[in-house]
Amino acid sequence: MNWRWIASNLDTIRDALIQHVQLTGLALLFGFLIAFPLALLAIRWPRLYTPSLALTGVLFTVPSLALFILLMPFTGLSMATSLIGLTIYTLLILFRNIVQGLRGVAPDVREAARALGYSRARQLFGVELPIALPVIVAGIRIAAVTIIGMVTVTALIGQGGLGRLFITGFTLDFTTPLVVGFVLSVALAVAVDLLLVALLYWLTPWQRGVRG
Amino acid sequence: MTRRDATKEEEQGSSAIVFEGVSKRYPDGTVAVEHLDLTLPAGELTVLVGPSGCGKTTTLRMINRLENPSEGRLMIGEQDVMRIDATRLRRRIGYVMQHSGLFPHHTIADNIATVPRLLGWNKKRRRERVDELIELVGLEPSLASRYPHQLSGGQQQRVGLARALAADPPILLMDEPFAAVDPIVRHRLQQEFLDLQRRVQKTIVMVTHDIDEAMKLGDRVAIFEPGGAVAQFDTPSRLLAAPASDFVIDFIGADRELRRLALKRLDSLTLDSGLTAPFDEVVSRARSYLQQAGSGGIVVLDSDHAPLGWLGWEQLKRAGDATRLDALDLQPWRHRLYLHDNLRTALNALISAPGEVVPVVNDEGHYVGVIDRLQLTRQLV
Repeated sequence: MNWRWIASNLDTIRDALIQHVQLTGLALLFGFLIAFPLALLAIRWPRLYTPSLALTGVLFTVPSLALFILLMPFTGLSMATSLIGLTIYTLLILFRNIVQGLRGVAPDVREAARALGYSRARQLFGVELPIALPVIVAGIRIAAVTIIGMVTVTALIGQGGLGRLFITGFTLDFTTPLVVGFVLSVALAVAVDLLLVALLYWLTPWQRGVRG
Repeated sequence: MTRRDATKEEEQGSSAIVFEGVSKRYPDGTVAVEHLDLTLPAGELTVLVGPSGCGKTTTLRMINRLENPSEGRLMIGEQDVMRIDATRLRRRIGYVMQHSGLFPHHTIADNIATVPRLLGWNKKRRRERVDELIELVGLEPSLASRYPHQLSGGQQQRVGLARALAADPPILLMDEPFAAVDPIVRHRLQQEFLDLQRRVQKTIVMVTHDIDEAMKLGDRVAIFEPGGAVAQFDTPSRLLAAPASDFVIDFIGADRELRRLALKRLDSLTLDSGLTAPFDEVVSRARSYLQQAGSGGIVVLDSDHAPLGWLGWEQLKRAGDATRLDALDLQPWRHRLYLHDNLRTALNALISAPGEVVPVVNDEGHYVGVIDRLQLTRQLV
């Protein structure tokens, strides 16, 4: 380990970390904005569920490098290229968990909401979504950890967050940046995961003491 | 008419529920309800009962438009329900379901305050109403801040009832409200519910498959038969005394006579004053009472004028002339009959009684008379 390199490259490391967080956060945000309405459609018209799941599933299996290369002719070596790719990888997990979460709301609870005079929108946001939250957040956690790992790959198309440190280490044949990138990326994944767990705990007081 | 006036009328208008030729058919051709004409009177508890698949639940669910009629007209008071916005309609009709259907993510207080919240009541008014309701349905105030999964089934059902009553709706719909709790809790909830209805006097429509429950709770009972038609709509006593068809007789069951007894209370009869003797009477006097009355035994009373036990002729014959009655081996009754008990309870007490009569007491426990088999049988004619 070359501590001097770390000390003199703090700015680079910080910028890489910030970009990593940005890419992850934006990919999750866009992924959610696409997956949520898609999930609502699939619940409203159950026939849409299987094709939607198949589509997001196929997209999920495309090798990440291949996907970025496929996008290159359209969006070039831009942040957009990596964001589009990363967003696509969140879709399967988010879509599936949102649908499962909303479907998991007990029928008599839904019936009660209707019978007591909830409007459709209020029922969704006031009853179904809060109850589905644990399953949805579970999906976000998996998606987040997956994306944090995948962001590093986008270093090959000039983005990459902490992945850029891998490239630096590799081209200079110098281990310190590799280690720094690795440690920070794992730490980020753990931190985000814990943050989401804490957020869920805070948002779902009724769940406390149910299953420890 | 201003909007405010319209709302007022909705709230105060008569809340009889009238089905005029209402049918419900599903796209797959199933007929749930067939040309139903039914008037559920305001302020009464009507029970819809019948075998499964007879359309009773669909009938209930059409009242607050959880299902829409395929044809016919359904009126609440002067209003056609199809002309009222479904969401608004539902907020002024209470709804209780089999599994309480409480919101797992809301506290008990928030669950109860659901409709007031939807109606936009302020926090203070909601809180006051929740406190009232918790007391009304007999819940511990400390439960208000708990979540539904922390409550027993019976407690959840009480919360469900409180939630349905929260905005003081003129109409209450109940879909098998007591079916999911154990028999002991069910019995208690039914009893409390009857007391509650006497106080609140709402137009209540309840669905059940349990004919006992229907007869016990209903001011009127509509018996549905398969195919979605009403076989008979009448008061429980009329249903028992004059069943309209073989289906009704079958559905009410072979113990129809017993059920009729259950609808009559002892205080509605003129009780026989019976043969009694105080506890400190001597045997020789008791024997002469019996001989004069030609009775097979005597009711011995204590100093409070409460029945102590039964003495039969055989026992008196064997005892010494000067013995006091309370020194003898008096035979107690297994059941104490009160004036407010029904005749079915009386029959039950008679079957296990040591003599041919059972004493009846008032609320203070004082002897008022006796009941015997002949009197009961006469009630059935």
